[in-house]
Amino acid sequence: MNHPDECLQCGTCVTVCPVEMVGGHAIVTFLADPDATDYSVWLCTSCWRCQEACPGGVSIYELMMEQRRREEAPAGYRAAFESVLACGLALQVPQEELDQMRAAWGLEPTRLPPPGLARALLCAEDGDRW
Amino acid sequence: MGLKLAFYPGCLVLQRMPEYEVATRAVLRALGIELEIVQQATCCGSPVVESFTADWVYLAAYNLALVEQMGHSTIVTVCGGCTNTLTRAARVLQDPDLRAEVNHRLESLGLSVTGRVEVRHLVRLLAEREEKVRARIVHPLSLRVALTNPCQVFRPGDIMGFDDPMEPQSLRRLVELTGAEVVEYGGEDECCGATLYLASPDLALAAGRRKLEAVQEADLLLHGCGNCQLLLRRFQRMIVRDERNLRKPALLLPQLVGLAMGLPEGELGLREGTWR
Repeated sequence: MNHPDECLQCGTCVTVCPVEMVGGHAIVTFLADPDATDYSVWLCTSCWRCQEACPGGVSIYELMMEQRRREEAPAGYRAAFESVLACGLALQVPQEELDQMRAAWGLEPTRLPPPGLARALLCAEDGDRW
Repeated sequence: MGLKLAFYPGCLVLQRMPEYEVATRAVLRALGIELEIVQQATCCGSPVVESFTADWVYLAAYNLALVEQMGHSTIVTVCGGCTNTLTRAARVLQDPDLRAEVNHRLESLGLSVTGRVEVRHLVRLLAEREEKVRARIVHPLSLRVALTNPCQVFRPGDIMGFDDPMEPQSLRRLVELTGAEVVEYGGEDECCGATLYLASPDLALAAGRRKLEAVQEADLLLHGCGNCQLLLRRFQRMIVRDERNLRKPALLLPQLVGLAMGLPEGELGLREGTWR
C-alpha cells in the first residue's frame, strides 16, 4: 500500500480509532508511521472516525478497502462473502426456517432472493480472485 | 391516514434478530407509521462485499431498485452498516455514467434505479419526530442506561448529513425522552466489537469486555444497531464467562422507547419479566 501524499502523519486518526483503543492496530497505525508493519487493514471496523477527523482529507476508508481487495481475507470475512455469493445474504438460513421464525414472532412472511442473484449482480466468474 | 415506509432489516436482523423488527414495528405503529418489508432483498453490500470487490454498489443498487419498484421513496433501516452502505450507494448513483452501467445490469431483472431513495435509520427517523415520540411517553422509565452510538449512522458526515458526526447526540436525546438517565462512561463512541469479530474474535471480545467493565453503574446497555446487540448481548456469555458481576441486560432502542410508551413487553420482542 502506498502511503498517501496528503497524509500529514499527524496521528489524529490513531487517537480516534476504536480499534487502537482496544489494543489493535488498523490502517491508522500505517498512516501515522509508514514503516509500521504490525497492523492489519482487516481490523478496521468501518466506523469512519479516522476519515472524519483527518485534517489532510485522506480518503482512508477507500484506501483501506482497496488494500483489502489485494490481500487474502480472514476466515470470517471469507465465510460471510461466500454466503452472500451463494444465497444473497451474510448467513445461510433456508426459506422454511425463516418462515417458521417469522411466524413464531408474529411477523409477515418475506421471500429470500433467488439463489445466484447476488453472484450475477457482482459478476463473479470462475477464476476471479475471490 | 398513516404513513407507509419501506423496511430493510438487513441480513442480521432478518436472519437472527427478529425481535428488533418486532419492536421497531410496534414503536412506529404507535407513531402512525407502517412498514412494508422489502421482499427478496440481499445483503446491502458492505463492509463484507465491499472488502472483496468495488462492484458492491451493484448489490446496494439492487436493493434500492426494489424499494423504487415498490413505489416508496424512503427506506427505514435498523443497522448502522446497511444505513451507511445504502446511503453512500444512493449518493454515487447520482453519477449518470455509473447509474447507466448499473441499470444495464439491473435491466435483466426488470429493475432500474434512480438512487433518489432516502435512507432513514431508526435513530434518525425517531429523532426527526422527537415531539411525536415525547407525546406518546406514558410510562417514564427510572433506569440508568449506558448507550453505544451506532458508528456507521453518522459518518461520513458530508454524506450521512445527520447529527454531529464525531459526537452524535440524537440517541442520547431519545433515551432521555423515555425518562431514563444516560450514564456517561466515556465509551459511547467506542467499538462494540461486532465488526472486529469477523477478523479477530479475541479483539472483538476484548472490546466488548472493555465496555462491560466501564458501564458498571448502569442498569442496562442500549443499542441502536443489531451488531452492537449481537456482540454485547448474544455474545456476552463468551465475554464474562463466570464473572456474574459483569453481566448486564441489553435493550435495543425501540424496546426501550416502547416500554416508555407503555407497550407490553411481549409486543417488543422481550420475554416478559425476564429481560432485566
